[in-house]
Amino acid sequence: MSSQITYPQPIEQAIAELESWLENLAALGQSSVLGQYTLSPRSLALLLLQKDPDLWSILKQDRKQQQEIEILLTVTQNKLKYPIDLAIAEARQKQAHSLEARTIQATKPAQNSFKETLHRLTINPLTGFPILVIILYFGIYKFVGEFGAGELVDRIEGFFEGQINPVVNQIVAQIIPWQSIQDLIGNDYGIITLGIRYATAIVLPIVATYFLMFSLLEDSGYLPRMSLMLDRLFKSIGLSGRAVIPMVLGLGCDTMATMVTRTLETKRERLIATFLLAIAIPCAAQWGVILGLLAQKPAALMVWGSLVVAIFLVIGFLSAKLFPGKSGAFYLEIPPLRLPKLRNILTKTWIRMKWYFWEILPLFIWASVFIWLGKLTGIFDLIVRAIEPFTVAMGMPAATAPVFLYGFFRRDYGAAGLFDMQQQGSLTGNQLVVAAIVLTLFLPCIAQLQIMIKERGLKTTTAMIAFIIPFAFGMGYCVNLGLNILGVSL
Amino acid sequence: MNCHQCQQNCDIEKSNWWQRLTRKHRSKQVKAVDGNIALVGTPNVGKSVLFHKLTRVYVDVSNYPGTTVEINRGVAKIKGHQIRVIDTPGMYSLVPISEEEKVGRNLLSQESFDAVIHVVDAKNLGRMLPLTFQLIEAGLPVVLAINMMDEADNLGLKVQSDALQTELNIPVILMSATLNRGMRELKQTILQCLSIQPEATLNTLNNLETAR
Repeated sequence: MSSQITYPQPIEQAIAELESWLENLAALGQSSVLGQYTLSPRSLALLLLQKDPDLWSILKQDRKQQQEIEILLTVTQNKLKYPIDLAIAEARQKQAHSLEARTIQATKPAQNSFKETLHRLTINPLTGFPILVIILYFGIYKFVGEFGAGELVDRIEGFFEGQINPVVNQIVAQIIPWQSIQDLIGNDYGIITLGIRYATAIVLPIVATYFLMFSLLEDSGYLPRMSLMLDRLFKSIGLSGRAVIPMVLGLGCDTMATMVTRTLETKRERLIATFLLAIAIPCAAQWGVILGLLAQKPAALMVWGSLVVAIFLVIGFLSAKLFPGKSGAFYLEIPPLRLPKLRNILTKTWIRMKWYFWEILPLFIWASVFIWLGKLTGIFDLIVRAIEPFTVAMGMPAATAPVFLYGFFRRDYGAAGLFDMQQQGSLTGNQLVVAAIVLTLFLPCIAQLQIMIKERGLKTTTAMIAFIIPFAFGMGYCVNLGLNILGVSL
Repeated sequence: MNCHQCQQNCDIEKSNWWQRLTRKHRSKQVKAVDGNIALVGTPNVGKSVLFHKLTRVYVDVSNYPGTTVEINRGVAKIKGHQIRVIDTPGMYSLVPISEEEKVGRNLLSQESFDAVIHVVDAKNLGRMLPLTFQLIEAGLPVVLAINMMDEADNLGLKVQSDALQTELNIPVILMSATLNRGMRELKQTILQCLSIQPEATLNTLNNLETAR
């Protein structure tokens, strides 16, 4: 084939030897390496020369084979100035660039300087941080917090409270004679009046606006630039910059982000990233609901924001110290800034919303059923009474105990419960901040827990959870204490 | 060999009475089920968009490298042919660095494909060609899909696909998946890559019959 690359002579020689060795193996029927791989002998030879981990683990099964090849590698290496894999990569690179030069022509001088300037502005920390703050303020605070969690929720909630709940309660009261069954469907904790209301009236509008914003940022190409900028921050606390990717994605959905930790190179990085995602990165639903909770009190929002960032940095720093090891080099493809296409954004938002909604709806309905069962049997009151001392210690009214219990099922469900209480005006600024912090740090949702177990194993996950629960409540306690001592009331 | 066995197994496993019923119904329009293709390439070159366009299966697409971490499988219908399409997580080289790259490499080295479509970004051809070389070296049936041509056009870059095609000795297609540009050419090329053409299948079947 004309397109075959010619590598430096020593490498070509080694390839030839390996090829004939592989062919001999195949002829003898001992195709231990060849058998599983459908790749060409030349390609296999090159992979062996580059010390491909998979092939080498197969090779290790035969001591003699391994030694022979190691000798060949050393001999080849001695004839070269650079490491073998580098020499191979360089030969390819050179060929690629000469081919590119022959087949691509620039018909107009590089311009598009506007995009270039914009790119520079977004990654330079001096201008990048203000840009980040502006995006957070308008995109997240104004749009998701005030419009989504404020306007939209008020409208839909009002509609539910005014039009649907009374009707449901009335119908239920008329057709079902038993009070306990009535409570399952209607009234305070019913499937329709609470479960479906939380899902559609509180969580859905918030998540919808957040996903819309997130998709917009994603498609514009801003997120990788944000990662690049945050890379410095991460490195300063001793974490690999690569870990920024799952963290940024975690702001959308922690479950998906936990899955993306696979892109991290070392086990250590994957572990730290999973842990940070579980404890300190709020997902879309939490962000939104918490923003909604605190939007009317900017000072409280600032306290929450800076505390969560501080906790994230400290925990990141400590866990990086706790699990020593090298962090891989950060190499991130920076895609161009693009003007996002409206259609793509809408489809994406729609599909994510649909996915999210169908995932939470059954869970919320189940939560209603569990609460109903728990109330019916009295177990619920028992658990609530057990939690009450903790919530009271954090300076929360006793009525928030059930909210934390919901939080066990899902963080967003708990947050929605708080939102409900706040709407009724029964929480002070301090209490809101404490509750928001505890809920942010608290256990991830069931889906994330499942993925954590799948990716990191049951033992690691249990250890993480065992740390997270007391830590979340402890932080709540400390924050409340701190605010009281300082005499701050938000 | 392995692959064909697997395919057969998969089909047998999956076809319960209901699917058999629906498939029978469908098979009237579909001429043949043939072909297995894979989409490969560095992260963020538009493999997932292309996958969506080919199979109508939506996978989360974003302007953010590394969004796809698992293999997505779908079926593309091209002129009545059913073709399995596999979308792989992005990879930089055949020697994997991270876990998700390993997934793609193992797939390429252990299954057999009628076409391996290497999707590249037209703006960064030079950086992406090394993977093309490696795929060709591996003896895979590579098709080079030069994507994001719209952006290359805006930058004033002119790609001479004919020259590339003769130099590399593989099919080269200029396209822009989001704008549906070049999709027809790609589909045609995929059909040409299929080892079994519908007529050919009939012929070989007849031959087999007579041979027996």
